[in-house]
Parts: sequence; structure tokens; C-alpha cells
Amino acid sequence: MADLIAVLPRRDLVLKAAVHAAALVVALAFAALLWDVIGQGLSRLSWSFLTTEPRSSGRLGGIAPIIISTVLLLLVAITVATPLAIGTAVLLVDFVRTGSLGARIVSMSLDILAGVPSIVFGLFGNAFFAIYLGLGFSILSGGLTLACMALPIMIRSTEIGLRAVPDDWRRGTAALGMTKTSALRHILLPAAAPAIIAGLMLGIGRAAAETAALVFTSGYVDRMPGSLFDSGRSIAVHIYDLTMNVAGGEKSAYAAALVLVGLLVIINAIALALSHHVLRKRITQ
Amino acid sequence: MLIDRRMFFIGAVALSTSTRAQTTDLTGRLVITGSSTVAPLVLEIGKAFEKRHPRVRIDVQTGGSSRGVADARSGLADIGMASRALFDNERDLFGTPIARDGICLVAHKTNAVSDLTDEQVKALFTGKAADWQEVGGKPGRVTIVNKAEGRSTLELFLQHYKLKNSDIKASVVIGDNAQGIKTIVGNPGAIGYVSIGSAEFEVSQGTAIKLVSSGGVVPSSAAVQAGTFPLSRPLTLVTKQAPTGLAAAFIAFARSSDMHPLVKEQFFVPLQS
Repeated sequence: MADLIAVLPRRDLVLKAAVHAAALVVALAFAALLWDVIGQGLSRLSWSFLTTEPRSSGRLGGIAPIIISTVLLLLVAITVATPLAIGTAVLLVDFVRTGSLGARIVSMSLDILAGVPSIVFGLFGNAFFAIYLGLGFSILSGGLTLACMALPIMIRSTEIGLRAVPDDWRRGTAALGMTKTSALRHILLPAAAPAIIAGLMLGIGRAAAETAALVFTSGYVDRMPGSLFDSGRSIAVHIYDLTMNVAGGEKSAYAAALVLVGLLVIINAIALALSHHVLRKRITQ
Repeated sequence: MLIDRRMFFIGAVALSTSTRAQTTDLTGRLVITGSSTVAPLVLEIGKAFEKRHPRVRIDVQTGGSSRGVADARSGLADIGMASRALFDNERDLFGTPIARDGICLVAHKTNAVSDLTDEQVKALFTGKAADWQEVGGKPGRVTIVNKAEGRSTLELFLQHYKLKNSDIKASVVIGDNAQGIKTIVGNPGAIGYVSIGSAEFEVSQGTAIKLVSSGGVVPSSAAVQAGTFPLSRPLTLVTKQAPTGLAAAFIAFARSSDMHPLVKEQFFVPLQS
């Protein structure tokens, strides 16, 4: 590398400038977005905004029921998607030969699923969960639809994490006479934990930002949900409604966006702390 | 006229059940789906209704007018919402208007033009007339203020003037009515369109805008109310049959004058009472 720089200093200067500029653009875009949301939303944000029900279609009042609905939606999605994602990834890495027909079919369907527009998931969720399974417009319908959406990205990420575990470790577990179950539980999955958590965070991010998939599944009702069978509006749907259908709702929309960003930061922090915890366990055991 | 008589009939049925509702407490759940333009209003009316009848739950879901009509027909929803009158091929259903939505052209107060033909409006918004002189005003560049994609006011505007959004040469694209009015106040050559309720409110507050007539019809809430203003549409609740029971009570409640403040809050125009 040092030789290369000596040979092509000027070209590398261009490269260096381009790389830095790219990073700067990304950072600036995020800063601008955050600045906009904070600048427009902060004045509307208050303790009562977080703890009261919306009034006048969300122009006044708060978003308490909407925050609760969002958290419930994400909980349902995570609870359902995580075991399925880990299971599928383990199958792909440790139970099926790489490149076999079965593995190729599963991988391909995952890639296609990851690219499917969210409105398609919404219509599927409406047809399957809401109508066919009779769950109606409910947080359960919405959460299950979100789980379907988050699955591909979570499986892929877990798979990459498991594949990154050196094969020597697998041979080591076999040499020690460990069963596959205990090898996975004590060695392989903890080793892949950071990747699993990363996938989880990406999945949650996709789910929390979702409107199209939720309008037809968890719905529009902005009342405090009494159970998972109640319809509940997510923050993203609320923001969309305030900006598109409620004249004079812009300020509240920005404040709600700020809450959504805050919620994601909190969830990411929890996920990160969790992964640190698992990592420590991996090193000491 | 047949429709009018039907409406009257619905009104009468609804009224009789609603008076009964005062004495016998209503219970049950109403599922209402459809137009995202009507949904915020119906949601608020629903909350007021729930407050009056604590054992009733009104669940409002969105998805567009066509969905509202389809759900009312299939029975998935007790009531559908549509931001338009029923089409001719939907006459098997019952539509009851609960309010009207109207938009009007708005220009800066100092603009010499106060009346435009539909053709002139089209020419302005498609960029064929780029100077106010071309439509009989004082010389000056025209600034077109258009609404963002997905706004129901945009939809209504395009529908009336038979334009496509891609035809419009917009100088500024705005979100809500307040933003549009602010843009026009700050730009004497600007023309745009906003909900008639919000425009009249701003004029009454002394904001430097004026309502521009289109096709000779002077815009006003009263004209929208009377149904004589072309750039307006009824917000309709759709039921499969003449509404009965809870649905009838709710529709009568939505049409009652108690709900007029809620209607105005959404910048819609209440029906004549």
C-alpha cells in the first residue's frame, strides 16, 4: 500500500479526496435531516406530547397511544421474526450443503423477498392475517406483517455472522464430542451474536419506518390499544397522515418524527448493550 | 331528484333512531373504512360519538375512496368513506354526505386579476402563460404554487381542470394550506389553490391574499355549501342499505350541527343545517 501511494501520489490524492467527500456528504445529509426534524419538531415536543392522547386529528394533544402501538408492533415483529430468522440461518449454514439446490432456492427466495415493495407486504398481510386468519385490523396482523418484512434481512445477517465463524471452531466442537445443539448454543450463536444483533437492528429500522405495510394491517385507530387484537396506529402512519391528510398538522408531524428517531436510538442502544453482554459471555466461557 | 328523496328518507330514519339513542344506550362496534381525506374528520366525530355513548367503539381505517365503497358493498365495513359522490354504477349503495370539501384559487392581494376563465387557469398552471399580462393583469412573472403529490386538494384541482400533475409547471411545491398561503403572501406574482375554509379564514384575519374566481363563480363557503361551486366535492358516508341502528345513529350524529366546529377544524365546509 505504501509503495502504491509512492508510485501514484496524484491519483491517490483524487481518490482520497473523493472518499472523504463521499463520507462528508453522508454525514451532512444525516445532519441536515436531524437539524430539520429537531428545528421543526422540538418546539412541539413536551412531556404531555408523550403522555396524552391526540386531539383534533393530531394537531393538538400528544401521541401516547401511538407510541404504545408502535412498541407493541415492534415487539410482536421481533418475537416472531428472531427465532425464525435464526432457525433459517442455522439451516442454511450448518445443515444444508452450500450450493445445494435447497440452499439455492431458499437464498433466492430470500433475496427476492428482501426486494419486495412494502405495499405488497401490506396487501398480503391484509389478505392473509387480517381476513383469512380473521385477525382483522389489529396490532397482531401488523406485527406479523412486519415480521415477514424484516425476516429476509435478519436471516441474511445471521447467516453472514454464522459463516464468519471459523470452521476450525466447528471441527473443535465435533472433536470435543459436543452435540450440534450445544455447539450452536455455546459456541456458534454467541460468536455470531454481533451479526444477529445488527440484523435485528436493521429489521427493526425497516419495520419502524413502515407505513404502507401497516395502513392495511394494524390500521389507523389512534386510541390506546387494549390488547394485541385492537387496531393501533404506528408513529410512521401517524406522521404520514399528519403531513398528507391533516391541514395544519405539520408541526405535530415533525415532533412525532423526532419521537420516532428517539425511539430508534433507544432500541439500538438496548440492542447494542445486549450484544456486548453476549460478547462478554462468549469470551469468558 | 330520486336521490334527494332517498337522502331525505335516510335522514328521517337516522333522526328517529338518534332520538331513540338518547334514551336507550347504544352498544357495539362500527368499522368505517375508506378515503384518507375523510378519515381524520370521521375519526374525530367517532371520538365525540364514543364520548356520548361509552359502550360504542368506532374503528376508522383508511385506504382510499374506492376501498371505502368496496368495503361497504362487501360488508367488510359497516360504513365506507368516499371523498366524492357515488358513481352511477354504485347506485345500489346508499351515500349520505356529511360535509363538503372545496378549494379555491388564491393570489396576492395586490394582484390586478380577480377573475380567470378555466382556460386561463390551465394556461397559467401549464406554463403557457408565464406573465400576468397574458391573462389581463399587470406585467409580472407568474409563480405557480402547486401542492405536493398525494394531497387531496391536488387531486381535486387536477380533476376539475382535467390536468395531469406532470403538466403543471410548478415554481413552488407546498404541503399544507398554511404553507401555501405564506408562500403567496411573500410573492406578489404567485397563484395557488388552497382549501376554501382556510383561505376565507386568512382573509378574515387580514392576510394579504385574495380569492380568485374561476369560470365566473365567486368562491365562498356558502357557494360550496349550496353545491354551486364547481371546485368542490361531497364527503360521503356509504352504506350497503339504508342505514339502520348504530350506523344510522352515527351518520345522523355526523350530520348534526354539533359537529360543524369539527368539520370547520378540518377546513371542510359543513352542510346546510
